[in-house]
Amino acid sequence: MSLAGSSNSNTQAQAPPAEQPPPVEQVLQEIVNNPGAAVLSKLLKSYPSKDKDVRDNALREWALEGQDPLSVLDPVTNTVGFVYLLAARSEPRSSRKPALVDVERFCAHFIPEHARLAPERLMTFATCLSTSWDPNPHLLLGPLFDLVTRYPPTPSHLTALHPAFLRLCVRTHHYSAALPVLSHPILHIETSISPLTYNDNLIYHYAGGCALGGLKKWREAEEFFEICASAPGQAAAAIQLEALKKLTLVQLILYGKAIPPPKYTHPTLVRLSKNSPYGNLARMYPAPSAELQAFVTKNLEVFRLNAGLVEQVVARAPRWLIKKLTSTYLTLNLSDIAKQVQSNTEQIRSTIIDTGEVNASISLDDTVTFSDTVTQFTKEDVESALTEAQEQAKLLFKLEREMQLNKEYLAKALKHKDEGSGGFDDEVGFSSWAEESMFG
Amino acid sequence: MMDKMMDIDLMDEFESPASQKLNMKRPAIVPIDDNHPFDLDAYINTYSGRTQIDRLIFLLPMCPTLAPQAYIMALQLIQKSRDTTQIHQLNQAYDSVLAVDSSLPSLADLPTVEQKWAEDTNSRNNADRQRLEVELKTYSSNMIKESIRMAYRDLGDFYRSTGDFSTSLKHYTKSREFCTTGQHVLDMCMSVLELLLEQRNYAHITTYVFKADAALESSTTIGRTASSGAQSAPPSREKIAAEREKVQTKLDAAAALANLGQGAYDKAAKYFLKLGPIKGLEHWASTIVSPSDIAIYTTLCALATFHRSVIKAQLLDNDNFSVYMEQEPYVREIITAYLSSRFNVVLENLERFSTRHNIDIQLSGHVAALTNQIRSRAIVLYFQPFASIKLDRMSTAFGWTNEQLEQQVVSLIEAGEIQARVDRQNQILKAKETDQRAVLFSRALKAGQDMAAANRKLLLRMRLQQADLTIKVPRSLMHPSEYLQ
Repeated sequence: MSLAGSSNSNTQAQAPPAEQPPPVEQVLQEIVNNPGAAVLSKLLKSYPSKDKDVRDNALREWALEGQDPLSVLDPVTNTVGFVYLLAARSEPRSSRKPALVDVERFCAHFIPEHARLAPERLMTFATCLSTSWDPNPHLLLGPLFDLVTRYPPTPSHLTALHPAFLRLCVRTHHYSAALPVLSHPILHIETSISPLTYNDNLIYHYAGGCALGGLKKWREAEEFFEICASAPGQAAAAIQLEALKKLTLVQLILYGKAIPPPKYTHPTLVRLSKNSPYGNLARMYPAPSAELQAFVTKNLEVFRLNAGLVEQVVARAPRWLIKKLTSTYLTLNLSDIAKQVQSNTEQIRSTIIDTGEVNASISLDDTVTFSDTVTQFTKEDVESALTEAQEQAKLLFKLEREMQLNKEYLAKALKHKDEGSGGFDDEVGFSSWAEESMFG
Repeated sequence: MMDKMMDIDLMDEFESPASQKLNMKRPAIVPIDDNHPFDLDAYINTYSGRTQIDRLIFLLPMCPTLAPQAYIMALQLIQKSRDTTQIHQLNQAYDSVLAVDSSLPSLADLPTVEQKWAEDTNSRNNADRQRLEVELKTYSSNMIKESIRMAYRDLGDFYRSTGDFSTSLKHYTKSREFCTTGQHVLDMCMSVLELLLEQRNYAHITTYVFKADAALESSTTIGRTASSGAQSAPPSREKIAAEREKVQTKLDAAAALANLGQGAYDKAAKYFLKLGPIKGLEHWASTIVSPSDIAIYTTLCALATFHRSVIKAQLLDNDNFSVYMEQEPYVREIITAYLSSRFNVVLENLERFSTRHNIDIQLSGHVAALTNQIRSRAIVLYFQPFASIKLDRMSTAFGWTNEQLEQQVVSLIEAGEIQARVDRQNQILKAKETDQRAVLFSRALKAGQDMAAANRKLLLRMRLQQADLTIKVPRSLMHPSEYLQ
């Protein structure tokens, strides 16, 4: 596991850069002496050369008195130096990977404010961790988790660390490790904290949806897939289409039918998904299991990527069929239900009783009596809902104030006011004959 | 260039109704017996002109028992017309009925058209066409607007009588360029409307009704201002009003038929009820839609879409409409039975006259849908006052078996039309009791949650847009399967 100390012999053999920067030892000493994070970050950015590759190569070869500098440095006092060294050493081409202990030590103790001085380096390090060189990638979950939770100013800030962490969780099937992160919805996007691309947002929400789906937290998964599928843009991304397909399946599990995606979803995506076998499955759902199974088998290749979800969708079909019966019938014979659902009575009995999702009682002569589910509301429920609503209102009010202070907004609003009135002079006369639909 | 484009459009248009017909749900064979009375002679004789032939050809494939009789009637009518292409259509229709019922006499055993008639007609048509085209050319070179318009109109009439509808429509629309008064425009619109109605090309009828309306408006206002200027005007004012009413009645009929053809039954019923007295229809009453047709269409559309009180006020207590209703007494019976909740009578009557409805050239495709809607409304109306009712009692009221009734009721419950549930074991239909308070609470809470979630998502979306993190180029991303295994 430890990759330290393999080749510090050729450190001295490195050709000195042209402008004669201070010797390596001196800089290392600087890091150890800790002149203050800001100064150090400025220094390291261009040491020993402005060229990134040269710098990384140099950093990789560093050693301090024959020892791995990572084991000597203190992550609390030397956060910035640590970040630079880690980023350079964990790159795929690096032959001197950092030891897991050091990575763990750093992630658990670094000072977020200092690390934010070198966001790009930290992201490189995190991405390298997640696409990892380690034979046991799940060991890296801990350090990455620390990074994700400690680095952003609040848990609802999106950083480039988020997608990296989520991808690792999904790849190693450690879904529950992601829960503490996923439970905070993303509300803030600040590119100054970490370099972000639109892909980060898409991947985070897509992988998040996968993780939540894996844990059968359907309602949350639905929200994540929806955010991914309806992300803003002039073009549609392939991952959005995948998200939309999964969204359809999750909704079938959750509600027994597909709900049209938000209006602002890219129209191409909606069309593509509607015309795919996923759309057809949603249209025929819920149908008797045998029918669904036949359809799935026919389109096996298309459903291959989501085989697990599709299987659950099919398995849940009888429940929705019975649910439909409860709204039209008060009593039914068990065999009648079986006929409607096209399944045997035993299976129905177990579906009704075991899942506890259908409110019904079965009498001795196999008559099933459906009763309404009575939902009771306590005072506390209502009060908590009200408080939540008030908080929401406050937040929105604050946002609106901010918006109204915005210079651009004011300029636009004023412009619109000036243009305000005026419309078309819509006189329909005979002159419009030629444009009638008949004549093309 | 324009002409060419127009041609293509017109061709397309005339192909569409044919394909529509294929999609229409029509019974293959309709029964004709004591329970489903139908008198072919009486039916056909209410019409005149081309529609007689059209109607015969239309009903031929559905009524094997009447086929030979209808064939001979159609043959005689065709020989009085100028359109030789209809023979072919007639033979085709007869062939299709032969395929269903092979006991019928074959085409060879039936009288055929006289060869001489076909030749004569064709040569006469040719001569006429040449004459009219030469006329048009002379007028065009002389630049006499009025004569050119009339030449186009005559050519349109000619092509219509010989069955070349797309060319006919082309000439009619061409004459529009040479119209000088509102009256001319109106005449042209009426010709086109007749043509479209004959072709059952419903999609474009409303456009022409709209145009005709505008033309009607302008021609009468011009007439009025002119008459107020001249001293001799007063008697003509009433004449204008009467003329106007006639045209309006025809336009309403066209709009109603267009809506019926496109399945907008409520609008169709409204337009039908706007119709003026029968004489306003003039020759349309026999060539396009007979008063008894109007009585039937209006009743079915109204029963399928109107409320009980509206039906009473607008159909039964409407003096104007009662004149139409006299043409088909059974229609009044259906309406009174419906209003007094004797639904079994309504349904029996609908079934009894289903043959008459199904062979109707305009109504045929809509009979099933209309009957279904009427039936559903009847069930909903019947159950309204009850909290619970025995299925037996309900099925006697409708004249069905319990199974049939249950099927209907269940489909209505699923569609949300009836708020009730079926107790299969005790054979009772029971109205749903809802705890309004609980429903309100859960709805409010859910609305709150949904709104909060929507806010959250929109905020994120706004932030993404502010940070310009929008998807820009359709760059191929990594395959999603990489994150999922």
